Amino acid sequence: MHGKIADSTLGQRAGPSLWARLTAHRPAVIDLVAVAALWQLSTYYFSPAIVPPIQDIGDAIWKIFSQWDNLVSLLATSLRVVAGLSISFVLGAALGVVMGLFGGVRTYARPLLHMIQGVPALSWVVFAVIWFAQVEIRIAFILIIGTLPAFALYIDSAVKSVNLDLIHLGQALRANRLQILTKVIVPAIVPEIMSAWTVNLGNAVRVAVIAELIGSTTGVGFQLLQAQAVFDMAGAVAWTLSLVAVLFVYQGIISLVESRLLAWRPRSEVV
Amino acid sequence: MTENPIVAFSGVSKTFLKDGASFTACSDLSFAIEPGEVVAIVGETGCGKSTALALLLGLQEPSRGAIRVLDVDPFKDFHALKGRVGIIFQNDRLLPWRTAIDNVAFGMEILHIAKAERMQRAMHWLARVGLERFANSYPHQLSGGMRQRVSIARTFALNPPLLLADEAFSALDEITATALRNDLLSMIGEEKKTTIFITHSVTEAAELAERVLVFGRPGRVLSEVRAKDMIARGGTHADVAAEIRESMKSARSTSSHAMAM
Repeated sequence: MHGKIADSTLGQRAGPSLWARLTAHRPAVIDLVAVAALWQLSTYYFSPAIVPPIQDIGDAIWKIFSQWDNLVSLLATSLRVVAGLSISFVLGAALGVVMGLFGGVRTYARPLLHMIQGVPALSWVVFAVIWFAQVEIRIAFILIIGTLPAFALYIDSAVKSVNLDLIHLGQALRANRLQILTKVIVPAIVPEIMSAWTVNLGNAVRVAVIAELIGSTTGVGFQLLQAQAVFDMAGAVAWTLSLVAVLFVYQGIISLVESRLLAWRPRSEVV
Repeated sequence: MTENPIVAFSGVSKTFLKDGASFTACSDLSFAIEPGEVVAIVGETGCGKSTALALLLGLQEPSRGAIRVLDVDPFKDFHALKGRVGIIFQNDRLLPWRTAIDNVAFGMEILHIAKAERMQRAMHWLARVGLERFANSYPHQLSGGMRQRVSIARTFALNPPLLLADEAFSALDEITATALRNDLLSMIGEEKKTTIFITHSVTEAAELAERVLVFGRPGRVLSEVRAKDMIARGGTHADVAAEIRESMKSARSTSSHAMAM
């Protein structure tokens, strides 16, 4: 006898059905319909310049996705977000791991990172305009400086809280430092890495749009500025909604990666 | 003592400094373990068992004295013992993100053993502990006893000449612990492993070991009970346990006498 099976989920876990997945999004759909209804109702009381009808917003969204120039702007912002976040993640993760492993680095790096986090995105935009001539470098700098501290701080905390028993196991097996890092520490902090990506994604989208407001000739930030210049409220809302849609796609990808990487977690731990 | 014991502690002392005060965890600790022996180190909490284990594993450097494990200094030649000392911990220490078979293969991965071979060996040892059906289960899907079996399989898969079991059954219920103890003993017998059980359970020490080293504070061998000889002379495990308890009682009085002086 080898003891009872502790969990009824033993073996292959069947994923939720398509219907279950769709119904899980019901509250979001209800929210969306309610906001749209309120918006449409408002159009009867306000000028179309202030609250444009949903039909106009729909037309503006169609223009974004059907016209190549517009689509390029949406893609430019999307790619800037991914590129900036990726560089920020690599640098932030490396710093976070070093901070987690070496107390001395942590002592000095944490206050600095908190200080950077406290600087408004707009201040970084001003600094970047003064420091860098190249628009893409400016945007990348603002994105990286805006998101790196969160990656570093999340990963630092995660490394600090890795179960010491597992590290001692690695030591007892005489694993070298690199093996302990790659085979014990990194897999152990994957849940926190995914959380950091989720938090930073929304942050990066906001920062990217602010960065594109100055000097850029493409991107959602630039298009919002254009819409503001001609009082095109339908266009401004359409660009905003399109960007939110991109954000949802990215969040979906993160959720998918998360469910793959964290398939080992008990159901009760999966939010 | 033979010329080549597997483990030899000679006059080993270990003193820790904390907040300016020194604390002696081991004092003039000497013992030897011969190839193929199954030895238990028994003693009350705080008698230096864990420090002796850390010294034996080379995780700490002795303040004085010499330690040889498989002919090397475990602290100075730390990596020379890679894959040569297997340890079963009190808690299973399975990596939660790895399946049972990948956990068994973990130690072999550290040794850079080829994937095909390590998977084959991992499956062999999983089958040996009766868990081949659960090869692809994650630790949270297994009971405490099953998890400890996986950790035993992980240790045996490395085929180390020396096995250490640190309170390996103390986190399990009595029925599971007894079953696991018997299985482990038969595996040790089959594989002819030199084994050191570190335990505070007198019964466990009496049932598992051929020789029992009774530790007293601060970390030294106060007496030795030759369980194998007692059983060979017609004694029972209960007799061995009684002998160990008697040794521990005198160890306690010796310790308190020493502290009073």
